[in-house]
Amino acid sequence: MNSIGRNACRARRGLALATTRVLAVSAAFLVANLASTIVRGAAPLAEPPRISHPLLVLKDAAGKNVLETGEPISTRQTCGGCHDYDFITDSFHFQQGKNEMNAKLLASHGIAPFNSSPGMFGKFSIIPNRQLTHAGVADVSDYDMSQPEWLTKCGVCHTGGGISEVDLAGHRFLTPEAKANGSLDPSYTVRDRVSGKVVPWDWAKSGVAESDCFLCHVPKASRGARREAMTAGNFRWADNATLADTGIVVKQANDTFNYNHAAFNPDGTVKAEALGLSDPTLENCAQCHGFTAKNVTVIQAIQHADIMRGTEKAGWIYNGAKISDTVTPNIVGREQMDFPWDVHAAKGLICIDCHFSPNNPGRMIQTDAAKNLNYRPGMNDIAVYLKRPDHNFARGNIPPETVNMTRHNTMRGCEDCHDAEKAHAFLPYKSLHFKALACQTCHIPEVHFWAYRSDEWGFLMDTGTSRITFRGIDGDIVNPDAKVTGFKPAFIPARGKDGQTEIRPTNLVTGVYWFDLSKRRPVFTWQVQQAFFTGWDPDNGWTYRPEIVKAFGDKDGIIDRDQARYDSPEKIALVRGLLQKYAGISDPELRIEVVPWAMSHSIAGKGQATKACTACHAKNSILHRPLDLDNFLPKGVPTFFQGRKIDVVSWRGKEPGFDNRPLLASFYIIGNSRVAWIEWLGWLSVAGALLFVLIHGGVRIFGGRR
Amino acid sequence: MNAQEPLYSLHERIWHWLQAAGMIVLLLSGFAVHYPDHFGVFGSMANAISLHSWIGFALILNAFLGLFYHLTADKYHHFLPKMDDFTGGAVRQARFYLYGIFKGEPHPFETDPRHKLNPLQKVTYLALLNILLPFQIVTGVLMWGANRWPAAFERVGGLRVLGPAHTLGAYLFLAFVIGHIYLATTGHSPLSLIRAMITGYEEPVRHRRAAEETEPDGAGDAPALAGDATTPPVESAEPVPIPPNA
Repeated sequence: MNSIGRNACRARRGLALATTRVLAVSAAFLVANLASTIVRGAAPLAEPPRISHPLLVLKDAAGKNVLETGEPISTRQTCGGCHDYDFITDSFHFQQGKNEMNAKLLASHGIAPFNSSPGMFGKFSIIPNRQLTHAGVADVSDYDMSQPEWLTKCGVCHTGGGISEVDLAGHRFLTPEAKANGSLDPSYTVRDRVSGKVVPWDWAKSGVAESDCFLCHVPKASRGARREAMTAGNFRWADNATLADTGIVVKQANDTFNYNHAAFNPDGTVKAEALGLSDPTLENCAQCHGFTAKNVTVIQAIQHADIMRGTEKAGWIYNGAKISDTVTPNIVGREQMDFPWDVHAAKGLICIDCHFSPNNPGRMIQTDAAKNLNYRPGMNDIAVYLKRPDHNFARGNIPPETVNMTRHNTMRGCEDCHDAEKAHAFLPYKSLHFKALACQTCHIPEVHFWAYRSDEWGFLMDTGTSRITFRGIDGDIVNPDAKVTGFKPAFIPARGKDGQTEIRPTNLVTGVYWFDLSKRRPVFTWQVQQAFFTGWDPDNGWTYRPEIVKAFGDKDGIIDRDQARYDSPEKIALVRGLLQKYAGISDPELRIEVVPWAMSHSIAGKGQATKACTACHAKNSILHRPLDLDNFLPKGVPTFFQGRKIDVVSWRGKEPGFDNRPLLASFYIIGNSRVAWIEWLGWLSVAGALLFVLIHGGVRIFGGRR
Repeated sequence: MNAQEPLYSLHERIWHWLQAAGMIVLLLSGFAVHYPDHFGVFGSMANAISLHSWIGFALILNAFLGLFYHLTADKYHHFLPKMDDFTGGAVRQARFYLYGIFKGEPHPFETDPRHKLNPLQKVTYLALLNILLPFQIVTGVLMWGANRWPAAFERVGGLRVLGPAHTLGAYLFLAFVIGHIYLATTGHSPLSLIRAMITGYEEPVRHRRAAEETEPDGAGDAPALAGDATTPPVESAEPVPIPPNA
């Protein structure tokens, strides 16, 4: 072999060796990688970075940077630059019925015509016995709550947009078209508390409250500061007030706000970390809806002098912490409650997981029931969502709330996440149970908190207002040492997601109020005050009329809490006469109204849920639980339930209790329900047979016959 | 007829007692469901429902076996009343229960393996087997099948209709059972009929003959059976069929 040949041979061997080495290294690398991948498999993936909101300029009503002008923030200009402000605010959080003021629509849903809308802006409630004045009233006796007054009381939560920007005729306040239609126009007037007269509202002074996007989208939003601004009628600065805790604004002595330049970037945009725009957090929603937290052991359901609404009405606490870990309040028996306040909260679910924007591509329901489509492509366009996020958030059907009445039950039902068939192995006749009962019926066996029990406006206390009682607490709700005993819900029929009538748990709030039969509406609170009191002054407050003191007071002329009750027909007749005499109500009628507040939070897991058959299927079925109503209830007056005259008050117990038998008459609960004539006929036939045996047999025996 | 032929064959006795036991368990478990506060004998309501369903289906099967047996063994005619049974026969039997029995009168209708039921029984069983039993089966099966055939269940009104209807049927069955057991004591001796349903045979005939001899009207009722050519003369002291008056 020549040198060339040898070299070539060496080269081939070298190439082969090199190739072998490369392959070996590659194989080792692959094996190492594979092993590494297997080992890493169990490790959690890092959370992907969230897409943050672009930096923005806070603008005033003229569209200029507020840093330059010092004017209040205009969300219409600031947020509306990218998002469709008018579309967003045409939703129920902002309108509260204002965009549903349609008499035909109300009538079709059985809402009495004295209401002007199905939402809080226009619908009467026994809490707080006030009515929004109808547009176009000509008589001051038809005037109760005006739009500006509504905003000072309810506008704390109902965050602007329609109700605080536009009058009842549809004109934006402070525009040339916006003019009062007469001296009683409820959009431009207010009843003066001292004089009782209807006086003009100064919109130029109060300004207009635009949609408060910050209340829901800024984690450090301050409802307390907003509350101060709104209750003071300082609407113009309300949105700024909401940012009081962010460091962006600083309150001034004249109730305006300055801007803190340190919270802004050199280019005039506000610093992202100062504003922190995000999806609504638990804490954002909690500010208005009820006590809500991820994991909190101090339950403070009264914030900024308001009881958190959902907790107030239904006693719910949405909290992931265990009840046994509660520091305050004093939950009786909490040592034994080694389970969370709400199982969904404990699993980390936040409000918007269920109450999502219906066109949010990440959460939306992509079915179209009207077209029998389980999946409808083309709905999830992110651009559409970002421009026009639908703020008619997915919701259930929560009596007595009727707002956004054509869009109830838009959220996913329990069954959309849970496979109830598989999860209830112990339960016979599953589909029958699932059809007749809401999931909450078994999964809210008890509420371990307090809630409203009654609000009585039929007899006014010396504060000029109602007597409120609570259930589930032994003591005052503001006393941290008061024993919180909790309560078990009552049950009513309600419309389920599929349109069927199902049994649901509720808290019951009983109202006693006067109804004006001649005008077919509740008597206004100011009219009841005219009947009860000679007047009000800043030093002495309200002074009862002598007739009231004589009938209800003790020998010293004092009416204490227990004496303030209608315990005889004569007392009812007396106040009826006073209403006629001093308030001009020609035909007043005292009424009881039992209002159910449906429960859907404070969900118990399978360990605490009701499972025993005989809990329902027995003589003392929990489904007919006689929840105590109010020991001050007057006897012999008409009782109403969900707008209908139905006697749902039972007087058989020590205290008046709820009797839901007329409501659940369409349900046959085996082991509990009895059809009277069937039982009579059945037992009569059995008794007849026994009687025959006794008589016939007796004669045979004693007659000596076979 | 062979004098050794029992009034009730073994098949009939087993069928009867299975029906009886099933019916009693159904009544007890049914009342445990209807009155869970007072009839907690089955441990839990779920147990009572489960037992009620199983026994119900067993009883339905037993009913069909009985139907099959009576059809194939040519014994269905026992249950078929003649026109006279609805009027004269039933009245005579009712008169016996309400009057004659206290006077020591003989049974108006003598029975034997070919004529096991008196007219009143025939009419009662006609209603029981053709109306009440199917009614209970249909209402019961529909309730049992509420999960399986919800459309059918709802079409008839759901639990609101079926529950009370089934309950009424149960009361009527209970009334029947009480009457049935009592009337089973109205044989020649209080236990003779029950014993017959156990052994197949009633008491020795001499007791019956002695009894008949003391009853002045007994012969008057005998022609009711005279037309039956298969009815044998009672001649020996061998066990003979007895009238199932219950």
